[in-house]
Amino acid sequence: MTITLNHYLLLAGMLFCIGLYGALAKQNAISILMGIELMLNACVINLVAFNRFMAPNHLVGHAFGLFVIALAAAEVAVGLALVLTVYRDLLSVNIQDFDWLKW
Amino acid sequence: MIHFAVQNSWLIPLMPAIAFAIIVFFLRRTPQASAFFSISCISVSFLLSLGVVAGVLMDPAAVESSVTWFSMPGLTVEMGTLIDPISGMMVFVVSLIALLVQIYSVGYMENDPGYSIYFAYQSLFAMSMLGLVIANNFVQMFVFWELVGLCSYLLIGFWFYKISAREAAKKAFVTNRVGDYGFLLGILFLQIIFGTLNFTDLAQIIPTYANVGLLTVIALLVFTGPIGKSGQFPLHVWLPDAMEGPTPVSALIHAATMVVAGVYLIARAFFLFAAVPTALQVIAYVGGFTALFAATIAITQNDIKRILAYSTLSQLGYMVMALGVGGLTASMFHLMTHAFFKALLFLGAGSVIHALQGKQDIWEMGGLARKMPITTKTFIIGSLALAGIFPLAGFWSKDEILLAAQSNGFTGLYLIGSLVAFLTAFYMFRLVFVAFYGQAKPNNDPHESPAVMTTPLIILGLLSVVGGLVGMPWLSTNFGSYVYFGEAHHGYSLMIMVTSTVIALMGIYLAYLMYYKKTISASAIANRFKAIYTLLYNKYYIDEIYQWGINHIVDGAGRVAYWIDLHVVDGVVNGLAKGTRQSGTILRYLQTGQTQHYGMVLVAAVVVIILLLGLLDPSLGISAWGGGN
Amino acid sequence: MDFTLLVPEMFVAALACLLLILNLVAPRGERRGLVIFAVLGILAAIAVVAFNFDMFDGFLGRMYLVDAYASFFKILFLIAALLVCLTTMNYYKPLAGEGGEAYTIMLFATLGMMILVSAGELITLYVGLELMTISFYILTANLAGEDARSSEAGLKYLILGAISSAVMLYGFTLLYGVTGTTMIHEIAQFKEASPAFWLGVIFALSGFGFKIAAVPFHMWAPDIYEGAPTPVTIFLAVASKAAGFGVFVRFFLTAFPQHADHWIPVIAIMAAATMILGNLAAIPQQNIKRMLAYSSIAQAGYLLVGLVAASEAGVKSILFYAMIYVFATVGAFAVTIAFNNVSESDDIADYSGLARRSPLLAVTLLVCMLSMAGIPPLAGFAGKFYLFSAVIEQGFLWLAIIGLVMSMLSVYYYLSVVRVMYLGEVTDYSAIKLKGSMKLVLYVCMVLSIILGAYPGPLAELANIAARFMF
Repeated sequence: MTITLNHYLLLAGMLFCIGLYGALAKQNAISILMGIELMLNACVINLVAFNRFMAPNHLVGHAFGLFVIALAAAEVAVGLALVLTVYRDLLSVNIQDFDWLKW
Repeated sequence: MIHFAVQNSWLIPLMPAIAFAIIVFFLRRTPQASAFFSISCISVSFLLSLGVVAGVLMDPAAVESSVTWFSMPGLTVEMGTLIDPISGMMVFVVSLIALLVQIYSVGYMENDPGYSIYFAYQSLFAMSMLGLVIANNFVQMFVFWELVGLCSYLLIGFWFYKISAREAAKKAFVTNRVGDYGFLLGILFLQIIFGTLNFTDLAQIIPTYANVGLLTVIALLVFTGPIGKSGQFPLHVWLPDAMEGPTPVSALIHAATMVVAGVYLIARAFFLFAAVPTALQVIAYVGGFTALFAATIAITQNDIKRILAYSTLSQLGYMVMALGVGGLTASMFHLMTHAFFKALLFLGAGSVIHALQGKQDIWEMGGLARKMPITTKTFIIGSLALAGIFPLAGFWSKDEILLAAQSNGFTGLYLIGSLVAFLTAFYMFRLVFVAFYGQAKPNNDPHESPAVMTTPLIILGLLSVVGGLVGMPWLSTNFGSYVYFGEAHHGYSLMIMVTSTVIALMGIYLAYLMYYKKTISASAIANRFKAIYTLLYNKYYIDEIYQWGINHIVDGAGRVAYWIDLHVVDGVVNGLAKGTRQSGTILRYLQTGQTQHYGMVLVAAVVVIILLLGLLDPSLGISAWGGGN
Repeated sequence: MDFTLLVPEMFVAALACLLLILNLVAPRGERRGLVIFAVLGILAAIAVVAFNFDMFDGFLGRMYLVDAYASFFKILFLIAALLVCLTTMNYYKPLAGEGGEAYTIMLFATLGMMILVSAGELITLYVGLELMTISFYILTANLAGEDARSSEAGLKYLILGAISSAVMLYGFTLLYGVTGTTMIHEIAQFKEASPAFWLGVIFALSGFGFKIAAVPFHMWAPDIYEGAPTPVTIFLAVASKAAGFGVFVRFFLTAFPQHADHWIPVIAIMAAATMILGNLAAIPQQNIKRMLAYSSIAQAGYLLVGLVAASEAGVKSILFYAMIYVFATVGAFAVTIAFNNVSESDDIADYSGLARRSPLLAVTLLVCMLSMAGIPPLAGFAGKFYLFSAVIEQGFLWLAIIGLVMSMLSVYYYLSVVRVMYLGEVTDYSAIKLKGSMKLVLYVCMVLSIILGAYPGPLAELANIAARFMF
């Protein structure tokens, strides 16, 4: 069996959905950040796969993927810093506790 | 210099605008500086307007320039200037009278607590009026038209601690609104039908427009503006009451400049009226009726300013009538000469009132001729000019109007005009003989006014003497060679000149007999025709009729509307408001504060949009996506 | 490669770095000097952009577009940054750090926006977007602040923002996969739309919708606007939203014009929903920041109306409205900063009698709110007039009617604040003292909100020039 584009896309799609589920269903803020990382990684898989199968001569997709990895790292760094601050303030990392701002 | 003035005529209204702003923001506490600054600015405007007049005389072709104020698809509104002989003449007259009145006010308003703000208003008025006359389109004209109305309101009510002044200001404002409403409707119609409000463009388009019926309606709507502003019957009621304002204000706004804005508007938009003969006839008869109507009231009034006010109404009727019979030249000419001598008369009356500490009843005056020589002489010059005695200013312009009426086949109006000329001469000299030559009253101590007040009188006196010579029909190039509509025409009729002079002299002689010689008893005549006298003295009870109408019809309708508003409209509105508030509250509580709820809404929204697109348009194949690929 | 095209961006980046260094050497807690430095730098940047306003050029082909459309938005961001910097002089609480770190981050956010509106390609677009958004996470959370609400807002914004940008990125990858290019104008040449393509379009739409806080992607906005430090709220409401619109309009009009018949109805529904929900939900609010947050959601709805028109007039009206919206919003929020300084409160009820305590604050809030409500002759009226007439021209009368009705409705909640300010019982007669910088901001916002309404010509003309580059 050869591995085709569809396999990669399916993998990426599943990864994305798992990440999304994690981001929306987990209560721990750190887990949510991990879910978001999964979503971004799914995007990277998509990019690389598309590049490999659709336009192997240009490396735009790979470059895009590298940018995404870098930005994801930046995002998660800020995210962890925020989680720390919030923990300092509220002694909790449970996202459901953070509902002071509403209505 | 001349070229500069013509090209930059927008500076003319700008100068007093600057004066207004500076006085309001910086000079409120320094009255003398305010007066000085205001007069300096209007002087510059006057010099520029002289340049404009010179430019127009050298080259009568219209000079137009404009900037876009705002534009959108289907509507472009511009601010601009249109300099041609008509507006050139108006700019000259307005800035000249405004300058003289401001100088005069230095003396008249002395020691008034509102000195600074008075000059601020004067400057604001000058700005608005000058902006009005150089307007090149209807919108700009309407904006300034409303602004002069505002200034009029502010200045009538200047002594707002007097109830009568407040009431008069309110009356002027409300009455004018009635006319302005029609005017605005007319403007909107023009915009809708022709897509432009520029005078020059409209003058090209309108003569080719076929639907005369609609055009007549528009012309009559536009004419309601002048009916209000220029005090034509039946919206004339505000002008006599407007005399509650300071007398220089009456001279400037309610005699020489603002009230003629209506006449000017008709002249400016004459291309519209010329295209619909029916509207012109209406204008002619409204004008003629107002002229006669106001003159008959004037002969019975006792308040010096009210006599002049009714005289103004009557003369405005004259001008409107002249336009109606097609005599644009005559009307504009009379507008100019009238501005000179009526401003003179009002300022003279102001001088008298000033000398008598505010007394305005002519029967409480008397014997002023000896004590106030300059005022008396100039006042008599003004009266003679108004009566139309050769060779003073009014003679030439009045003859032009009568000639226009007679030669265009309006014999009835010609006769009315002659009758008005008789009445005019009579009531003016009734005023002169009673106030200036009557028996001196012991408790009066009149004295001549200071030079700052008499100088404008002398200048206006001179203009009232020579101002009409520019329109002498024997000159090869005269007033009519510049200011005309269609074809310029020269002509005169010795018959009219002679008869009108004789009629005026008869009026003066009758006044002489009744009020100087007392060979004919005025009170006997009044008793004899008691009913007519009472009717005239009470101004045909027009005010009372309006009051009755307001009390019964308007208030009644108001009560009905109030009931409907209270029980029907409010019910619906309150219901709607309640519903809105409640839906707002519901929406508010959707915001739970739970981050993951928000995230789910976001994802759900994406799904909904996908479904929406897929359902709306199956050809996109989105619904098949789940299965294939 | 003509690097001179990037001068404004390089300038802003250099300014940000310089401020970072200055912050290290400046005395602890000293903000004033840094603000002045930042303000002068931003003014210079505005001059640089304005100088090359009417040009059309691309850096690296059409990867990075420098045209009047981008320049218009860049000027807008810089003006917003300038006004926000001035308001921070009156914000006495720590902001993103003890000293002036906030200015550095703010300038990086500005840089991200500038990149965003110039992006002609997906990678650049994504990088600009993330630069802007990550800067805003930091600003919103206000790490040095005492206020736990800011931390909460920051974390919420980060999670939701990250999810939304991940979704958008997934959309971008699909678009890249289907069309084989990341250049926006090349996507337009791709005529056949497959399901994957449409999925990409919708995911991208959701990402932009999130940035501009359009219903149904608006849920984050009220909480974050309320929780963030007020200067950050201003910057978020004004500049971030404008940047979102800048890229949204450019992306959709450049990449998908041939599919306009399909996506315009969706945006029309979004616009209607945004106007309705924003205005209705603003009514019951008691916190002025939250009320203004909902009102700013509603404003996004009006702006979307211009995109529905998808014509030159529509884009022009978006540009015009975005600019006047800057002044109205900054003015209104600046008043809340000044008021919060003396009362420590954002409750509308506490504004009672403000007109007596500080006429300037009251009149600025009045003018700015009425401008947002679109009362003539204020700027908002002219803006809404352009928007609605543009959309009516394209046959969306119903949308214009909804917009008008909702504008009338908005007068209700704006005026209820005005009523409290002017007619409310005066409990505290002490006058509110304002600093010069605050007065400057208030005057600028108020006067421009009036002038741009009375004489919209020049700004409309600039917007016209900029809009022409979209077609």
